[in-house]
Amino acid sequence: MQFILSGIAIGSIYGLIAMALAITFYVTRTINFAQGQLMMVTVMLTAMLSAAGTPVWLAMIIGLVSSCILGVLSYLIAIRPILQVNRFSFGWLVSTLGFAVILENGAALIWGPTSRSFPQMLISYRVPIGNAVLNGQQVLAIVVAIVLTIAFEVVRRRTFFGKLGMATAVDPDMAEAIGANTTVVAIVAFIVSALFAGIAGLLVGPTTFANPYLGSTFGTFGFIAMMIGGGTEKPVAAMFGGLILGVCAEGANALINSQASDWFPFLVLVIILIISPRGLFSSSSPLMRLRRPPAAKA
Amino acid sequence: MMSNETPILEVSNLSTGYGRFDVVRDVQLRVGTGEAVALLGPNGAGKTTVLNAIMGLVKVRKGQIFISGKNMAGLPAHRIARGHAAIAPEGRRLFLDQSVEDNLILGALHLRRDQDRVRKLLDSVYELFPVLRKYRDRQSTYLSGGEQQMVAIGRMLMADPEILLLDEPSVALSPVAVEIVVKALMELRRRGASLLLVEQRIDVAVRVCSRLYVMTHGEIVDEMTPEQVNQGGMSILNKYLG
Amino acid sequence: MTDKSATTTPTVSSGIKRGRLNLLFLAIAVLGYIVFTIYVSHSNLHIQSLVLVAAVFGILAISLDMAVGMLGLYSLGQGGFFAIGAYLTTILNARYGWNIFALLPLTIIASGLIGAAVGAASLRVSGLYFAITTFIFTLVLTVVATNMQQITGGLQGMLGPAFPRLPSSFSWVGTPVVWCVLGVLFLCMALVWNIRRSPFYPVLLSIRDAEPYAEAAGVPVSTIKVAFFGLSAAMAGVAGWLFSFLGVVSPGEFDWAVSLNVLVMVLIGGVNTTLGPVIGAVFVSMFPNLVNINPWLQEILYGALSILAVTMMPGGAVGAVRKVLQRMSAGGDNHDEDVLAEAEKAAEETVEAASSIPDHAGEGHEIVVECKGIGFGYGVGPKVLHNIDLAVRRGDIHGLIGPNGSGKSTLANVISGRLSPHEGQVLVKGQQVAGLAPISRARLGFRRTFQAAQLVHELSVAENTMVGLYDHVPNIELRSPLWPLLPSARRDGRKMQRDARDALSLVGAAHWGGRSVGDVPHGIEQLTQLASVCVAGPDIIVLDEPATGLSAKEVHHLAEILASLKQRGVTMIIIEHQTRFLFPLCDRVTVLNAGEVILTGSADEVRADPIVRQVYLGE
Repeated sequence: MQFILSGIAIGSIYGLIAMALAITFYVTRTINFAQGQLMMVTVMLTAMLSAAGTPVWLAMIIGLVSSCILGVLSYLIAIRPILQVNRFSFGWLVSTLGFAVILENGAALIWGPTSRSFPQMLISYRVPIGNAVLNGQQVLAIVVAIVLTIAFEVVRRRTFFGKLGMATAVDPDMAEAIGANTTVVAIVAFIVSALFAGIAGLLVGPTTFANPYLGSTFGTFGFIAMMIGGGTEKPVAAMFGGLILGVCAEGANALINSQASDWFPFLVLVIILIISPRGLFSSSSPLMRLRRPPAAKA
Repeated sequence: MMSNETPILEVSNLSTGYGRFDVVRDVQLRVGTGEAVALLGPNGAGKTTVLNAIMGLVKVRKGQIFISGKNMAGLPAHRIARGHAAIAPEGRRLFLDQSVEDNLILGALHLRRDQDRVRKLLDSVYELFPVLRKYRDRQSTYLSGGEQQMVAIGRMLMADPEILLLDEPSVALSPVAVEIVVKALMELRRRGASLLLVEQRIDVAVRVCSRLYVMTHGEIVDEMTPEQVNQGGMSILNKYLG
Repeated sequence: MTDKSATTTPTVSSGIKRGRLNLLFLAIAVLGYIVFTIYVSHSNLHIQSLVLVAAVFGILAISLDMAVGMLGLYSLGQGGFFAIGAYLTTILNARYGWNIFALLPLTIIASGLIGAAVGAASLRVSGLYFAITTFIFTLVLTVVATNMQQITGGLQGMLGPAFPRLPSSFSWVGTPVVWCVLGVLFLCMALVWNIRRSPFYPVLLSIRDAEPYAEAAGVPVSTIKVAFFGLSAAMAGVAGWLFSFLGVVSPGEFDWAVSLNVLVMVLIGGVNTTLGPVIGAVFVSMFPNLVNINPWLQEILYGALSILAVTMMPGGAVGAVRKVLQRMSAGGDNHDEDVLAEAEKAAEETVEAASSIPDHAGEGHEIVVECKGIGFGYGVGPKVLHNIDLAVRRGDIHGLIGPNGSGKSTLANVISGRLSPHEGQVLVKGQQVAGLAPISRARLGFRRTFQAAQLVHELSVAENTMVGLYDHVPNIELRSPLWPLLPSARRDGRKMQRDARDALSLVGAAHWGGRSVGDVPHGIEQLTQLASVCVAGPDIIVLDEPATGLSAKEVHHLAEILASLKQRGVTMIIIEHQTRFLFPLCDRVTVLNAGEVILTGSADEVRADPIVRQVYLGE
């Protein structure tokens, strides 16, 4: 019970990062390897500003805004020029990683490689649920993840901009032909995605503290979560992937041994990808095949 | 033959292509206000490229494209789509994961601040294709080919553009569906729309349009009226078929 | 026959000249290598370690470029194969005392087999998903290496085996490991250099760029993909074997960042070049030593440079140099007008008999292609073909017409075996086509062309044509690593060139042979496609809209070619819109509408049929 709940809590964080990766993938068909570093920048800036006496809420907002700005920059500098030359080029594998390297080492250069304290927020509250106990921060993570996921889905399906984003994802040329500025759509996607990553950072900051190498750890787990869920087809699936990953990791720690979370999630990932190469909730998954609607009339 | 007033669409010396070679060379054509003009020709003649160039989807290499006297050559597609031109493209290219009505409303992207107008346009599309009203909430993947073509035409109309561009709306349709599409195009013409129709079925072009261009190998080689086609039908047919 | 030998003479002599040039080049390369190795093996340890690390990564980058450049498979698993080589060598040597040279073949086999298994994933997932799958493969391997502490030494890793020392009487040779590492690098470069000069190279690129085209030529696409990826993995394994002699083997040396760094090397140096990956490897691995500043600043600079490299130089360093050289030699002039004029001339050329194309005339008149009750639909969509019956007699030209969307091209794909019908069967010479391997289909003497010509744009017209000869030359794959050195291969290569040229002159595109397909007009592309079919001397050809996009003259020329093929007894099924071109050629015509056969008959019968006139001609 305890491991399921704390797994869901950490899984919500992974899920938010996975969704951040999936949102930009959805619109531009690229993976932003600097996503974890965007999260790290939010954490570091918030930690630094609040340590310098800035109100915590203001520090958080500045942290989020800066990660949004960097997210847009990563698109404009590392992704757009490559897609303009050849939409199917894989050069962005290299350039987004280059961007990640710059952010990570930049942070280490500016703030030093050691951990700093992060505002405590709700971590000292204890919330008993059944015979398990979560701290306030974990509960907050779960609540925020649920709210953001639902909000994202509602926006995507119900609002005009969401529908436009779907159209751009499916057929960018046709989206241009109905008058969509696909560059603007992509920039908005990168802002939303950086917000998700930044919020994930704020939620996890009190537990992990702030250090420049936070990004690569959480970026990797977010990526695995996206692949488990099948986030390359549907951003929401990435959230479910995150939850599965979180529960698996915590479960492995609780039931196997304290080191098992280092390798057990990978085992899960490999098994899932062998069964369904595009993730658990993708259209190639045997799970989804059962639910495919019957063929329409001719 | 044509009046001196500014035509809705005037293409002059248009050259464009994809690789190192121009697929379209020195194309001149015009569409007057309220006129329906067809562009005929065999596969690979460059008709679709002309339409895509007008829409801004293919980069114009040489020449001008005037819509209502304003030069559109070099503008990105999303600028041209703001009320100047709209396209029902080859292969329809619906947003298949979205409903019929969402597809239509996306077509009115640049009018989204004027919801009254969008409503009116939507009603007029549903009036033109009543079957779409019935299926408005259905995901567009699950429509038949003919219904999908109606959505594509509807989406184009939703932009309420100065000129309509249609790329082979009769392709891969059953005779009944072709008939519905042709009737709809004739109705649009009656309502005063200006349209440029790329076709490979002469009968469709003759019924809908008042003037026909014949295109082969990237160049416009002939221009005629439906009457001329009906009189000397076989010769143009041959020209067209190869 | 006689005047043909006259035309071949200049090429043969130029071939010999090129052979001598090759030898000279080889001699210079070997000499340069030896001098460089002697220099390095006698220099100080600092320089040695710099060069050796660069060389190992050079091998790794070459192995990745084999997958990325020649197969189009973006593998991020290279770090994983690298790790397998290094760990296998270290563990078996340190714990079980195996001899390191005995371990080399084991390393090759192990990493090659694992590579083939990973490569098989490319058959299920393509493009980005393949990159992701291999990425995860590497991730998992590092996790395993970190967590199996008893065997791998965990995060600290283990010290690799020492390379054996030479007896002191050989001390003049210098450090032996230098000879070994640089020798392997040289062999790897020679390997890819040879492959690029063998007829296997066009085959590989056609798998990369135009899979259906390769398959139609009888190439066992899946097998080659898997095996070649296995070869690339084996090379990475060898790099790992070498790496274990250079110091500590630990998970950090093989994590996914390393795989991505290798990709950076390839992209910076130039994809699909022999020299590019090595240049990239030298640059990336020596970068930290060249720029001696704050390590964080140095990383930032590296990140910025890698972004700049991929955004500014899509072709990498080698590509950029090539572009400059081209601009210097071309003088910046555009010859499009000349090219078009030439294309017109090609259309006027008369069709001459080419002796390499076998004659099938007079082989009887029985039915060679038969469709029985074919039904087909894509995915869950509606059926596009309903109960199609079609019989084609030997030596006939059988036309297949119908409006767009009537299912013609689908039928062509079903007949040629690319699609399996849901109902009914297709028999070619009495043998069922569905489920037959591409090579067996090609061996039936059965070829096809595609509506949109599928060719490799960066290769020449002649090289594209040679892909059609794949099933005529034994063991292209196995001989390719040594191709320019084997006399039998040189002989075969010359014959292939001759055949390709004959086929090209048969279709009237002989003097286009040397141009790359990306630079020829559409009409010539279609003719190239036709030549690549004719070069194999098939007796049944399916042509999918061969006249599409051709000028009037070219269409006329095409009709002549097809007529002359018919005289040789070749059976043809032609799918076409342009009835004026098609009808005079055809013995029989089948009309399709909405996925059903309306009528089969002679051209005149079809033309006269009122339903056809209404449905198709629109009267």
